[in-house]
Amino acid sequence: MSDIFELAAKSVLEQDADLAMEQVKKHLDSGESPMILMEQGFIPGINKVGELFSAGKLFLPELMMAADVMSQASEKLMGALPPGSKSENADIIITAATVKGDIHDIGKGIGIAMFRANGFTVYDMGRDRANEDIIDDAVKHNSNFIATSALLTTTLGEQKQLEEMLKKAGLKGKIKTMVAGAPVTPRWASRIGADIYAENAHEGVVGIKKAMAAA
Amino acid sequence: MSNIVTRMGDGSMLEMSEKELREDIEAGIEEAVDKGGVPPLTQDEIEYLVELFKRKERIVGVEMGNEVILTYDAATLKIKRHSLFEDRVNSLAIYERLLGADTTELCHVDYSYKMLKPIVSYEAGTLEQALSVTHAPMFYGAMPNLGLYTQPDGPFPNPMELLPQGKIKEGRAAYDEMVASAVEDIVFIAETMWEAGADGINLDTVGASGDPDFKASLLAVEKLTAKYPEMAIEMGMAGEFVLGMHGEMYHDDQRLAGLYPTEQLKLAEKAGVAIFGPVVNTNNTESTPWNLARTIALIKPCSEAATIPVHANMGMGVGAVPVTDYPPVDIVSRVSKAMVELCRLDGL
Amino acid sequence: MGMAVAHAQASGMGGMRTAGDLVARLQLSKKMRIGEAKKYVADKLGVSVVELSDPIIMSEVRADNGFGIMMPLGKVPKGLECKFNIARKLDLDINCLNRFKARAGLA
Repeated sequence: MSDIFELAAKSVLEQDADLAMEQVKKHLDSGESPMILMEQGFIPGINKVGELFSAGKLFLPELMMAADVMSQASEKLMGALPPGSKSENADIIITAATVKGDIHDIGKGIGIAMFRANGFTVYDMGRDRANEDIIDDAVKHNSNFIATSALLTTTLGEQKQLEEMLKKAGLKGKIKTMVAGAPVTPRWASRIGADIYAENAHEGVVGIKKAMAAA
Repeated sequence: MSNIVTRMGDGSMLEMSEKELREDIEAGIEEAVDKGGVPPLTQDEIEYLVELFKRKERIVGVEMGNEVILTYDAATLKIKRHSLFEDRVNSLAIYERLLGADTTELCHVDYSYKMLKPIVSYEAGTLEQALSVTHAPMFYGAMPNLGLYTQPDGPFPNPMELLPQGKIKEGRAAYDEMVASAVEDIVFIAETMWEAGADGINLDTVGASGDPDFKASLLAVEKLTAKYPEMAIEMGMAGEFVLGMHGEMYHDDQRLAGLYPTEQLKLAEKAGVAIFGPVVNTNNTESTPWNLARTIALIKPCSEAATIPVHANMGMGVGAVPVTDYPPVDIVSRVSKAMVELCRLDGL
Repeated sequence: MGMAVAHAQASGMGGMRTAGDLVARLQLSKKMRIGEAKKYVADKLGVSVVELSDPIIMSEVRADNGFGIMMPLGKVPKGLECKFNIARKLDLDINCLNRFKARAGLA
C-alpha cells in the first residue's frame, strides 16, 4: 500500500492527472476506505507542493495544476464514499476576499488554490470587496469561515471593521475569521479578535483544520 | 535566565536567555541555508550577533568610518502618507536639509509606471524645479507593478482567473503581453525623466507581480542603458525570491522564477543596473535575532558577488526590520549596524 | 519617517551635513562601491575617509567649496550653483547641469 501513497503524492507533486487516477482506481479496487488514500497520499502531496511554493522551488502554474490534479482525485474518491458518509473536509465552507480598497489578489489566489486542493468549498469574492458584501456572501453560503487578505497598512482596518460588524450582527463565533496579508501579524489578529492568522497558504489550511477540530 | 530583551518580527517585546538567543540565530541561519542554498554564517559572525543583542544600549551604530549611503525610496510619498500635504519640491528639500538624506527621490502618490503616462509632462516639470533648488542626487521612481496590466485594471486577461481554470497556456500568453506593454511604459517614463535631468531612475519593488515583473524590468533596463549608457538605474526587489507567476520565463537563458538575491543581482548587473537593492522579507512570527541572522546569510553572498553598489532594502517588514509602521529604534539601529558591518553593504 | 531617522543615526553618512550626497553621486554616476567612492571623494577634497562623515570638518569643506550647506541663508551658493561647484571639484558629469546649460544656451 505504501507504494500507492507515494505514487499518489508524486502525482500531485508532478501534476500528473493520469498517475493520480491510476492510484485512485487501484485503491478503490482494493476495497480500502477512499479517505485513506486522501489522507496518506494526496494531502501530503499537496502539502509538499505548498512548502515548495513557499520556498520558491515550485511556481504558480505548477501549484494550480497540482491543485487541479488533487481536485480530480478528490472528486473521484469522494464519489466512492458510501451514501450518507462525508469526507473530512466536506463541511468546511469558506468565503474569501481581498478587503475594500485593496486590489492585491495574488496571495488570495494562492490561498484559495490550496484550500480547494484540500477539499474545502471556497466562494471567491475577488478583490476590493466591502465587508457588508462579504458577510452577506458568508450567510448566503452558510460559510464556517471568512478569510480576508489585506496587503496595505491602509486597508488593514477593514479586517477590524469586519470583526465589529460580525459582532453587531450576532455572527461572531458562528462564522470564524482568518486574516492574512503582508502587514498582517499574529499581534494584529489577536488585537482585532480574528480567529486565525495565516502567514501563508499552507498555514491557512492548517489553521482552518485546527479551528474545525476545536469546534 | 531570560535577561536579553529583543523583539519579535512584528515589533513586540520579547525576553530570551543567551541559550535561546543562540538557538534562534542558528535556526535563522539554517533556514537561509536550506531555502536559499547559501553558506552558513561563521562562528565569529554568530558571536557578533550574540554580543549585539546582549548589549543594553537603546541605540547602537556602525564604527566611525563605516557609514554608508541611505537612499530613500518613494520619499515624497512618505511625507504625504503622514497627511502632511507639503509641496513635493519642499518635501525633497526637507529630506536633504532637515533629515540629511544622501539621495532623494521624487515620486507620484500613484507609484506605478503605467499610471504616470498621462501626467509625465507635469512630473518632468516638477522634477526640473526640484533639481534646481536641491543638492543631493535625485531619483525619479515608481514600481513596474504588472498587476495593473490585467483586467479589470488593464487590457489583458487576468492570469489569476485563467490559471485556476487550467488555462496555463493562455495565462502565460497574457503575462508575455503584459511584459511587452510594461517595458514600453517604463522606458517612456524613464526616458522623459532622464531628459528632464534626473540623476537616477528607480525601479522599485521589482518582482512584486512575480517573474514577469522582473523580466519587464530587466528588458527596460537593457533598452534604457543601450540608449543612455550613463543613465543610473537603481533596482530594488520585492521579495527574497522571484515568485513564479509564469514559471517558464527566462532571461539570458536563466529561469527567473525562484531566483534568490545573488542570482537576481547578476542579471541586474548584466542588464546595466547601477545600484541593486536585495530584499529579505521579515517573518513576523519569529524573533528579530532569527530574522537578522537569516537576512544576513541570504544577503551577504549577494553583496560579496557584486561589482556594483548594493543597497539592501531595510524598510518596514524587510531586512529584519519589524512589520510595523512604528519600528522601534533599538531594533532598527541593531539591524542597521549588523547588516552594514556583516554584509559589507554600500548603502541602505 | 522614524525608521529613516534611526537608520541615518545608526549607519548613514549624513547627507549634506557631511559628504553623504557627494559619495552617493559616485555610486550613481560611476557605479563605485562604497570604499572606492569614499576614497575618490576624500582624495578630491583632501580629507580622510573618516572625516567624510564628520559634520564639523565637512561643513567647513562644503562652505569653502560652495557645495551647499544645511542652513543656506543669504549670499551662499544654493541649488544649481552648488551643483556646478560639485561637478567641477569632483570631476563629475551631473545630468541636470547639462540640460540646464543646453536650455540656457550655455552649452
